[in-house]
Amino acid sequence: MILLRLISWPYFRKHLLRTALTTAGIVLGVAVFVGMHTANQTVLLSFSQTVDRIAGKTQLQVSAGEAGFGEEVLDLVQSASTVRVGVPIIEVVVDSNIPGEGNLLVLGVDMTGDRSLRDYDLEGGGDAEIDDPLIFLAQPDSLILSKELADRHHIAVGSRLPLGTSGGQRTFTVRGIIKSTGLASAFGGNIAIMDIYAAQHMFGRGRTFDRIDIAMKPGVTLTDCQRELHALIGSGFDVQPPSGRGQQFESMLASYSLMVSISSAFALFIGMFIIYNSFSIAVTERRAEIGILRAIGATRGQIRWIFLGESAAIGLIGSVAGLAFGVLMARGIAFGIGALISDVYRVGQTVDAMAISPGLLALSLAIGVATSVVAAAIPAQNAARLDPIQALQKGRYHVLSAGESRVRIAAAAVLALFSAITLTVASTSRPLFYAGYLSAMLAALLLVPLLTLGLAKTFRPLLQWLRPVEGALAADSLIQAPRRTSASVAALMFSLALAVAFEGMGLSNYSSMVDWMDSVLNPDLFVLPSQSFDIRAARFPATMASEIAAVPGVDRVQMLRNGRTTFRGAPVMVIALEMSSIAQTIHRRPVAGEAGDMYRRAAAGEGLVLSDNFAELQHLRLGDQVEIAAPYGVIRLPVVGILVDYSDQQGAIMIDRTLFIKYWHDDSVNMFRVYTRPDADALAVRTHLLERFAGQRQVFVLTNAELKTYILGVLGQWFRLTSIQIGVAVLVAILGIINTLTVSIKDRRRELGVLRVVGALHWQVRRTIWIEALSVGAFGLILGSALGALNLYYVLQIVHRDVTGMRLAYQFPLMTVVALVPTIIVAALVAALWPAESAVRGSLVEALAYE
Amino acid sequence: MNNYPVNARTRSARTACAAITVLALISPWLPVKAAVDDAKTIIEESQRRTESKAERYEGLLKSFDAGGKVTEKQWIYQRLGSNGQSKSVIRFTAPAEVKGVALLIVNHPERASDQWMWTPAIERDRRIALQDRSTRFFGTDFSFEDLEERDVNQYDYTMLQEETIAGAPCWAIQSIPKQTKSSQYTKSTIWIRKDNYAYARVDFFIKDAVVRRLTYLDLRTINGIWTAHDLTMADLRRGSRTQLVLDKVQYNLPLKDDAFTLEAIRR
Amino acid sequence: MIELDQVTKRFDGRSQVTALTDVSLTINRGEMVAVVGPSGSGKSTFLNLVGALDRATSGVVRVDGEPLGGLSEDALTRLRRDKIGFIFQFFNLLPTLTCLENVALPLHLRGWSRKRVSARAGELLSLVGLADRMTHLPEELSGGQRQRVAIARALSIHPPILLADEPTGNLDSRTGTDILALLHDLHSTTGSTVVIVTHDDGVARSCERTISLRDGRVVEDTKNASRVDAVAAS
Repeated sequence: MILLRLISWPYFRKHLLRTALTTAGIVLGVAVFVGMHTANQTVLLSFSQTVDRIAGKTQLQVSAGEAGFGEEVLDLVQSASTVRVGVPIIEVVVDSNIPGEGNLLVLGVDMTGDRSLRDYDLEGGGDAEIDDPLIFLAQPDSLILSKELADRHHIAVGSRLPLGTSGGQRTFTVRGIIKSTGLASAFGGNIAIMDIYAAQHMFGRGRTFDRIDIAMKPGVTLTDCQRELHALIGSGFDVQPPSGRGQQFESMLASYSLMVSISSAFALFIGMFIIYNSFSIAVTERRAEIGILRAIGATRGQIRWIFLGESAAIGLIGSVAGLAFGVLMARGIAFGIGALISDVYRVGQTVDAMAISPGLLALSLAIGVATSVVAAAIPAQNAARLDPIQALQKGRYHVLSAGESRVRIAAAAVLALFSAITLTVASTSRPLFYAGYLSAMLAALLLVPLLTLGLAKTFRPLLQWLRPVEGALAADSLIQAPRRTSASVAALMFSLALAVAFEGMGLSNYSSMVDWMDSVLNPDLFVLPSQSFDIRAARFPATMASEIAAVPGVDRVQMLRNGRTTFRGAPVMVIALEMSSIAQTIHRRPVAGEAGDMYRRAAAGEGLVLSDNFAELQHLRLGDQVEIAAPYGVIRLPVVGILVDYSDQQGAIMIDRTLFIKYWHDDSVNMFRVYTRPDADALAVRTHLLERFAGQRQVFVLTNAELKTYILGVLGQWFRLTSIQIGVAVLVAILGIINTLTVSIKDRRRELGVLRVVGALHWQVRRTIWIEALSVGAFGLILGSALGALNLYYVLQIVHRDVTGMRLAYQFPLMTVVALVPTIIVAALVAALWPAESAVRGSLVEALAYE
Repeated sequence: MNNYPVNARTRSARTACAAITVLALISPWLPVKAAVDDAKTIIEESQRRTESKAERYEGLLKSFDAGGKVTEKQWIYQRLGSNGQSKSVIRFTAPAEVKGVALLIVNHPERASDQWMWTPAIERDRRIALQDRSTRFFGTDFSFEDLEERDVNQYDYTMLQEETIAGAPCWAIQSIPKQTKSSQYTKSTIWIRKDNYAYARVDFFIKDAVVRRLTYLDLRTINGIWTAHDLTMADLRRGSRTQLVLDKVQYNLPLKDDAFTLEAIRR
Repeated sequence: MIELDQVTKRFDGRSQVTALTDVSLTINRGEMVAVVGPSGSGKSTFLNLVGALDRATSGVVRVDGEPLGGLSEDALTRLRRDKIGFIFQFFNLLPTLTCLENVALPLHLRGWSRKRVSARAGELLSLVGLADRMTHLPEELSGGQRQRVAIARALSIHPPILLADEPTGNLDSRTGTDILALLHDLHSTTGSTVVIVTHDDGVARSCERTISLRDGRVVEDTKNASRVDAVAAS
């Protein structure tokens, strides 16, 4: 401790900026780690809170995917000996028609039913204000709004509220306000409660429920109850604790969570580099000091301890600051994700409380300090190994020895070979695959100094040609000190590789999606019951098909019904189509199976068609027998075809419409695919359609282009998230470059002095610093793009293997890389501002003087 | 007559609509048991005197909230049978928003009553589930518990004093639930008129504070049964009160069994 | 060519050190002057002030009639690169540049065309006898050769003033003599003003004029009889 205070503190104080930059490395790493994880936790927590709030004291929930089921199931459930209370629920998402509020979740509950499951008390006066409960029940347009929403828009009891429902615009009357605690605080208050029977009536649900919430009799286990219920109502029903919905949500978030994990791992890696770099430099700079300490009797252990102690201190300070930044960052990210999720998944998720877990904070602190100490371990070891006499001699020691280069090349080759093997030979093993990923990254890491050197040498003639003096000197500076340069290049490389990979993943997604949309979404018009086509709760009656077909200009109408169900516990989308009609309009080759046979058997109800990602995730092959439990029986059919399909992240099972009607007792329609006659104008047909249903029911007609734009717009959200990663890369670039340049300028003080003596003007000196900065940026960009290309491959593999099962076409984000060029140039120039100034300030006499 | 089940589940399971029955009976109906002491005997006698085989009246329910706002509802009430085996139908007649809404209550001697509600706007009948006994009955100042049939044996009665209420000499009897958890109230005080054994007032206590007060006014004999035509429940905490005014009360009239079915209320 | 008028230079640190006190002298065009004195006498400070590397605390330094006090940093740099060639004890060649590039450095900085630069730099290296070493790095040369490269660099712009700080200080005596001879040759052929800071009496004697400094003051300023003799004697 005394050593730290005597030796380290004065050094830190003298190199305040560098110490700050070093600390910033850890701040960055920890902030990203904390930020990403907290954001992720926050979203998950807020979802599970939502689930909890809606679920109340519910222990089990009975549902049939998203399809709903008949009322008679309730009696069966209530008759179960293990069930104490069973209450039915309907959930409907409607368009609030309030600007800026978007959708509203309407929860239909049995107002006269048992309320012991839910923590609201509508008549107690404490929580809610209902004007007149009897009128509320007697009038089907009665609605209870959350106080939060009501207050936001000055809605009072008695206000009329027009909402978009499947039956068109309907006006509801606010007959109650519920306080924003518990249930009503879910979805940021965008929640309304109705009587369940009124909801059936108003939303055209017939006599169905979406869910039954259950409280079990005391002493009954979940499994007992699940078993009894399955026996009673059939295996087509999901009987799960409410948290199961959270788990499904979690699996929906999987690709995002993956990004978080990779991101934060990279961030820490990058932080490690910055620390490593700073400490390497510090050891070099403080050779004399170390020599003196050794000469006066400090042991190697003590020297090592000084550096490790310093790194621990920096790690601690950096981590604490990182925690603060991370939490701030998490807030921003969480809102971003919330928006993404509500756009992509239609959950309407908003984030209202941050999930700051003390465990995570403690872990981050530990990781921050550990990262810092690990990063400083090699420099500390080098310092400890210094020979006192050698240490007292002057000179630069950034140069790579030939021996070290050989070791690096050999190690990199072994790692690269290993990762190549894992990709080809042992590609089925998951641990091996990830080990291969890691070793590919480590190989890149080991090669960075050599590559930096190679690049610098390659660039020298070019730079010299550009600026004979400044260019050549900048290149020489890089060549002279590859270690000094390469740590920054490596940090930049990794952050860019990550940005490139994420951007590439988005792009690959995008282009695969475009291909798919072009072949599958080829109807001219799409008729939807809701503006948001993902709201599956809003549906049309099947009879509308003939009404649409009768509209002038309409050539062909296809009914589509989709709903989420579960397969082996994992969510999957069931898409019911008129297969024989689809066979005539969609022409694409299945991944497995023969198109004609596939459509024929599927249309006859003799087989299922799977999306390739579902087949991949569930390891299903052509001809496999698949069982899907539906409310009215179990579908047992072979797989007759596998198609590339991006309908759903978790995968899709396509069946003929007749099967759906048979096994779900539901002939409603989520979407009509409408083909117009060749001579008809799609826009004119749209107008006809809108006129045909005006005043009867709410109908939204999207043109082909509009639908595609909508889908791509949702995808665009993903790109927005990757911009965070690019931001991190820019920060890393700035930090690394400042660090490198600061040292470079110190190392080259005499050289720069000579330059000035022999006639270099200030801007000429600055220019050489700028060129150096730009070179570091350029090297980082080049290596980062190269590694990004590899990283993208791995990320796509991970997505394919472990996340969505989608086989995305590899698409290198060239435009992003091109766009990064000016970004990195600006970052490099910004980073060089201060060092360049410090290079031209300072006394010439001192620069030339011999110490 | 005295076969009314004495178990906690049934008691706590008394529901909204059963409660209305009780309201209509003016004072809680209870099986008469052998006199244990004076206070209990008085309560039992009071119960005995209000028995009838059928009943019909037109009710006017007025709620006065703390802000002075008044809402009114009207209904027609019919009951067939007595004691634990009655059936009743309440059909709302005003205001327009609730007109046609009907409640059917079927009491069972051995278990909780069944209730259904018919809402004409959605042409739907529904079963009404058992409720938490302390919640308010459809926005009125009565809680479900206030409207329950009470089993005389679940309470300990103590004669407090003799007192004059609204000019009538009464016995004031304290009633304390034997199981404290079975009631939202700690105790209540019942005033029974000495002259005709009709209830005059009930004060409901939580700890030592009166939280609700039920007043029986406008006492008239109908078919030999002393019937209060004005029952007012005041919620002293909320500052609101609910008044039920009875009109055209008839007892033991000929009512048909098939008027007390789900099909019948779906008219 | 060079005028100092009551020049004082103080260094402010924890304790104030006065390196030059009230120095006034003039060095004429074409003179070859040696500045001598023990270490700490202020001779390096003198050279730094004359070379426009540092500013006087008080008094006026004029180079070619121009007072340096009012000039900006960049103006000083311009003055240096147009009028002054520097030769250092430790050569101060840039280690990563070849001999030719080192010599070309000031020319590039002045923005000459590549062609002109390489012609001129080659010419200069031939002049100092290193025509065959153009693409060598400084570390591949001997000390004397390095100093020749440094001299070539100093001459690259035809400076009217050549400032040498212990040019032979880091060389063996034989090489030192060669370098000194080279400087004399250049002086006579180009007619530049040459100022050599040295503690070597032989070097000092070889010059036309010797200025002795001690404790920041000029203690002696003498003209030497014959510089040719002096060179021969050393």
